[in-house]
Amino acid sequence: MSDEPLISIPTAAEAALVSRLRARDETAMTEFYDRYSAALYGVINRIVKAEDEAEDVLQEALVKIWHAIESYDSGKGRLFTWVVNISRNLAIDKIRSRQHRVSSRTQGLDDSLTAQRQAAPETFRPEHLGLQDITKQLVPEQRQVIDLLYFGGFTQSEAAEELNLPLGTVKTRARTALKVLAKLIR
Amino acid sequence: MENYQEIIESGRLEQYALGELDPAAQAEVEALARRYPEVRQELDDLLAGLGVYAEAHAMTPPAGMRERVLGRVFADIKNAAPAAPIVPAAEAPTMRVSASNPHVASTVAPVATPATRSNGWAIAASVALLLSLVGNALLYSSWQKTSNDLAVALNEQTRFANTTQVMERRLSTTQEQLHILRSPQEYKMVALAGTPAHPTAQARVMYNKVSHRVYLDVAQLPPLPPGKQYQLWALDNGKPVDAGVLTATTTAGEDMQQMKDIASAQAFAMTVEPTGGSAGPTLNTMTVVGNI
Repeated sequence: MSDEPLISIPTAAEAALVSRLRARDETAMTEFYDRYSAALYGVINRIVKAEDEAEDVLQEALVKIWHAIESYDSGKGRLFTWVVNISRNLAIDKIRSRQHRVSSRTQGLDDSLTAQRQAAPETFRPEHLGLQDITKQLVPEQRQVIDLLYFGGFTQSEAAEELNLPLGTVKTRARTALKVLAKLIR
Repeated sequence: MENYQEIIESGRLEQYALGELDPAAQAEVEALARRYPEVRQELDDLLAGLGVYAEAHAMTPPAGMRERVLGRVFADIKNAAPAAPIVPAAEAPTMRVSASNPHVASTVAPVATPATRSNGWAIAASVALLLSLVGNALLYSSWQKTSNDLAVALNEQTRFANTTQVMERRLSTTQEQLHILRSPQEYKMVALAGTPAHPTAQARVMYNKVSHRVYLDVAQLPPLPPGKQYQLWALDNGKPVDAGVLTATTTAGEDMQQMKDIASAQAFAMTVEPTGGSAGPTLNTMTVVGNI
């Protein structure tokens, strides 16, 4: 809905939304949904890889955000970072709890590889930050590592094992990839 | 101590961003970020980069999901709400005291019984016990009343604090709106008049070209069909830019709403779009429009 990345919406607008959520204003939750649901749903869906489960996790995440908003500390980072982390952790818990881990490990890897070759998915919103643009910034090896770490819930050593790479290589790739992404914002 | 360059090079900030650190290590990174602005900057960049990456995977949720999910979220919130803020009642301590009273009696009584040598002592002990029991009962009932009063007072205090918070929020919103309305040099009023299809529709936009803030105030809009929402557009060199969807209260004209920031515009217009808004305006639903 916006050309502006959620991570850099004006802090004043963000603070206003947070204080309305803290004041238990339900219309603020509706507004939060309208602004953030596509981004959160995208991340969750990417992790659980099943639309019905993604919907459940999104709902859980919204309830959790509502109850935990008091503990959000704007001094530690942007609202989007905080809410994505909540959603991401719930989604990762979900795949861990369904013992999905073992069977999906290889699937996750295949998926991240095919994603690099395929065009952006149909549901992808073209007016948003282009997935394509991001892809161009990262070499496939970097993207593979970031996808495993961020969407797969792997630790760096698990990713090293998964990709059959030395831990040092995984760490370097993750760092370079994150630095490339960070530059997009500067 | 470490200098900020070493911290940045250590790789800990990346681990923090990916959520790999335990709470203690997290707190350590946060403390370093507070101490060194350079570390804060680097960490913010990393988090922002990852945020952009996350958002690049954004997917519009399937149709119908908004109502389902929000419905269940609100139901969940309402269920949880009454349980949470209630001040713990005085039951727990009450139980403890009433349970201890019989114990006092039973421990004192056996001491009194063997003392048959002197009836006087037994009577004195009984009287003492009786007085003590009566005293305990009086103290207990007065204590119970005080503790009930305290619970009521705490409840009142919580309720009052909540009300104050709500009132403060309303006051600051009102002051902000007043400021907008009273600063014609900061905020340009843009009257949005109804299109021929909706001649009675009327609204206005307050637009600040410097801060890019946009506020909307509805005078009158036709009622919406179900599943639809009004969406505001800024027209910049003829190109429509999404300025956000109107909440129900704004649509009803009950409140002013801050819309999305708009960098540049020559006109504003409003259309009817599916709930949640559209990427581009549905032109034949244009309800009001106005030039700056």
